Amino acid sequence: MMSKDSSRRKKAPAKVTDWVEPSFDDYLKNTNLLSSNLSTKSFKDINQHQKRKDHPSVLESSKSRVPTKKKGKSSSIDEICDQSENEPWVDKYKPKTQNELAVHKKKIEEVEAWLKAQVFQRPLKQGGSILLLTGPPGCGKTATIQILVKDLGIQVQEWTNPVSLDFRKEDFHNAFNHESSFQILPSQTQTALFQEFLLRANKYNKLQMVGESAETDKKLILVEDMPNQFYRDPSSLHELLRRFVRTGRCPLVFIISDSFSRDGNQRLLFPKEIHEELFIASISFNPVAPTMMMKVLNRIATAEATVNGEKDAVPEKLFLERICKGGSGDIRSAINNLQFSSLKECSSENNFWSRKKANSALKCDTSSKVKKKKKSNILENQEIDAVGGKDTSIYLFHALGKILYCKREPLTESESPQLPSHLSEYERDVLLVQPEDVVEKSHMPGDLFNLYLHQNYVDFFTEIDDLVRASEYLSTADFLCSNWNSRLALSEYSTSVATRGVIHSNTARAYAHCQGGMGFRPLHKPQWFLINKKYQENCLAAKSLLSSFCLPPLCLQTQLLPYLAMLTNPMRNQAQVTFIQDVGRLPLKRHFGRLKLEALTDKDPGIQELDSGDEGELSVQTMERGKNKTNEKDEPDESPLPSSQSSGNDLPGSQPQPAAAQAIMEEDELKIEDYDSD
Amino acid sequence: MSLWADKHRPSALSKVDFHREQATQLRNLVQCGDFPHLLVYGPSGSGKKTRIMCLLRELYGAGVEKLRIEHQSITAPSKKKIEISTIASNYHLEVNPSDAGNNDRVVIQELLKTVAQSQQLETSTQRDFKVVLLTEVDKLTKDAQHALRRTMEKYMATCRLILCCNSTSKVIAPIRSRCLAVRVPAPSIEDVCHVLSSVCKKEGLIFPQDLARRIAEKSGRNLRKALLMCEACRVQQYPFASDQDIPETDWEVYLRETANAVVSQQTPQRLLEVRGRLYELLTHCIPPEIIIKGLLSELLNNCDGQLKGEVAQMAAYYEHRLQLGNKAIYHLEAFVAKFMALYKKFMEDGLEAMMF
Repeated sequence: MMSKDSSRRKKAPAKVTDWVEPSFDDYLKNTNLLSSNLSTKSFKDINQHQKRKDHPSVLESSKSRVPTKKKGKSSSIDEICDQSENEPWVDKYKPKTQNELAVHKKKIEEVEAWLKAQVFQRPLKQGGSILLLTGPPGCGKTATIQILVKDLGIQVQEWTNPVSLDFRKEDFHNAFNHESSFQILPSQTQTALFQEFLLRANKYNKLQMVGESAETDKKLILVEDMPNQFYRDPSSLHELLRRFVRTGRCPLVFIISDSFSRDGNQRLLFPKEIHEELFIASISFNPVAPTMMMKVLNRIATAEATVNGEKDAVPEKLFLERICKGGSGDIRSAINNLQFSSLKECSSENNFWSRKKANSALKCDTSSKVKKKKKSNILENQEIDAVGGKDTSIYLFHALGKILYCKREPLTESESPQLPSHLSEYERDVLLVQPEDVVEKSHMPGDLFNLYLHQNYVDFFTEIDDLVRASEYLSTADFLCSNWNSRLALSEYSTSVATRGVIHSNTARAYAHCQGGMGFRPLHKPQWFLINKKYQENCLAAKSLLSSFCLPPLCLQTQLLPYLAMLTNPMRNQAQVTFIQDVGRLPLKRHFGRLKLEALTDKDPGIQELDSGDEGELSVQTMERGKNKTNEKDEPDESPLPSSQSSGNDLPGSQPQPAAAQAIMEEDELKIEDYDSD
Repeated sequence: MSLWADKHRPSALSKVDFHREQATQLRNLVQCGDFPHLLVYGPSGSGKKTRIMCLLRELYGAGVEKLRIEHQSITAPSKKKIEISTIASNYHLEVNPSDAGNNDRVVIQELLKTVAQSQQLETSTQRDFKVVLLTEVDKLTKDAQHALRRTMEKYMATCRLILCCNSTSKVIAPIRSRCLAVRVPAPSIEDVCHVLSSVCKKEGLIFPQDLARRIAEKSGRNLRKALLMCEACRVQQYPFASDQDIPETDWEVYLRETANAVVSQQTPQRLLEVRGRLYELLTHCIPPEIIIKGLLSELLNNCDGQLKGEVAQMAAYYEHRLQLGNKAIYHLEAFVAKFMALYKKFMEDGLEAMMF
């Protein structure tokens, strides 16, 4: 079996996969190693150079650490390090009960309810069920599952991506030899292995059921480590999951960390359709709340202080708060930071020094090290941020909110001079947000952010005159990055113009005292990409379908196409007919064409740019276009009109009625009816 | 059954319905066997293409009417494959290089080269040059136009170019000077009426003169549009009534409704609705330039003389922006917003003036 029983795994001392990645033991060893080096004060030493060389690798290795590293190290260093000190605090103080979890009670209950429902209350239901846990890294997803599983007495089988065999055969055997029941054929791909794992995990369960006690036959498959192939080809995963849902006998839990990188793992691997099709339950975790985090940090700090026999006092509250803030909801990194910073107080000058060294090693800047040593206390504040400071980032939803709601602070009289009377209309209170910062933290390219802003700004305005200014600014922003040559340099300015322009022109929110009562306005995703894509597709389709008319595109689109829709000319094929009816006709009479807006939710990443430029085969496109259309349109109105009215005047009789040809997809039909009705 | 516009298209220069004098001149031009590069320009639906095809027929005989559509792929120096479709007979090649977007230069150079480098085999019976017909020359990038200029000189021996465009203002001067410019003006109302009547006669329909005139006026002297309208009228109702509705294209109606929506209410909500309508127009293949132009003319119909100048200026400003910018919707929306504000202010001022 590829799977590893988690309980067994935990017992295995300091193996590859542990509770949480112990980021520090390597580091500690290494700092010791370094410090011993440094104590000789030989900066220019070749020795030092060597250290530098392998230092970064060691730092990075916290994630991909392999046992060889340990073996490779000289034993003397191991002796220096005390074993207990060696253990990272994230491991040492890992939560053991539900109360210790830094996760909201409701979330835990939610997960627990699901587990109970799936594991205990589904006696003979056929098919597996799938749970997807998402959330930013370090918010306790894994911890929650581990604890609940322990409490409920469920066994976990976890998938771990196998290391490729030829790479480190020996390690591999070390890591897996206690589960010698399976053999990995070197020729098998990861995907195949994963598939086998899932199937075997199922079977295994069934076999166990025969003789085992009731507690242990409850199983859960946990997948945190996605085989890479699935990122390239999500459909293969979907196929696998479909099969699992049909045949599976135990729940399957996926844990996927949200990331700000734009590939949107979760979205890619588990698109909405799959969610619906396979009834995947999805529970999303929030970043750890500051109060929770403070509680945990406090607990750890106090415990650590007592263990060390008051050698170092409990860190002051302010200090913890700073760590807490720097962690931005990532409890793992916060604990790591705490351990990091407490090293300074507890140990000798060597250790302290080495910490600085480690800190700056990434930058490889020797001169700064000397400076750092002289740093005063004030500067240390920044220092800690630098140590622990995760790059804070904001979800797009919040970033847009910050711009659109533009919180302000009342101006105090003494602070700044009043504007002269003729400029008084430009008077604004002080902004509490820095638009440029907000955009930067949202991890979005400027023009995309502008589009989001453009989609949503109108709702926040009440005066048409303000709107004029805002739209003018947005137009200017687009104009600024029009030239591809200078786009790169100007896009920042363009976003700046757009965001600041929108903020400033909103006079209704100019002062802090009149900002209340806005209420929540839903935000939407920009439609532009879709519209633009469809525009281009339709143009191309028009060109290819009606090429026999030999007309320039402009005439084709504005004259021929609309009139063809009215004429009795039998077209050669069905595709042409549907296309003409689709594009040549507009939803008149309906007062406003309503394109369905896609709401932007809390954690949505930005959408990818769709307008890649080169399109595939046209025939396929037109087919797809039909689908898009139906998705995008509102449903046909509830009250269908008498058929006499819907046909006849809109669809000329001699033209093959699209409804008659069932061969062409039903979507298009629906679409045409949509146009005809009302 | 093809469209009337295609079915009744004259095929010889002697048979064209209007601008007869020009047609005779063109005939004379070809009859002497050789002719310079041509630059045919004029508004849409005035018969440029018809005249060019007639000219080619005059030159090569009926063989030019055997058209085939070819899809060619050209590899740009940057190894990018460009797909372009051409319409060709044995004697000529028609291509719209602006289909290739930014790569139009490559298309012009490569296509012309391949055409021009192959000599006609039977020079005794055929002309010793081929004709390349380039449409929408005014949409070409400057790069492509300069490339064209060079190519024109180089392959003069084996190839003649006929350039076709709506306006010469966007064609660079060197090209204009290398070509014989032929302006095909839009047909007059009478011309259009005449053509419509004769077409209906050929179709065996009774066609009231009043309707012909109304269609001609409504078409904006665009013969193609007039014929399409006429055909649509036929579908709508026959026998014709002289006061029947002339079907308009959906997008024009839609645009008018949009303009009315803008005039009737000036609020942010309305702006959002208008944005939805603009998107709808875009998805129905109406180019943004056409939208802003149509919107302007509809809005101008609705507003007071005092405002007209300002509104037109605004439209020009935003259309310029639109041409330079990337995403049309910003500029369209800004224009609408600006008009709303202007109109609202105007109405409020008017109201105040009335009250006091």
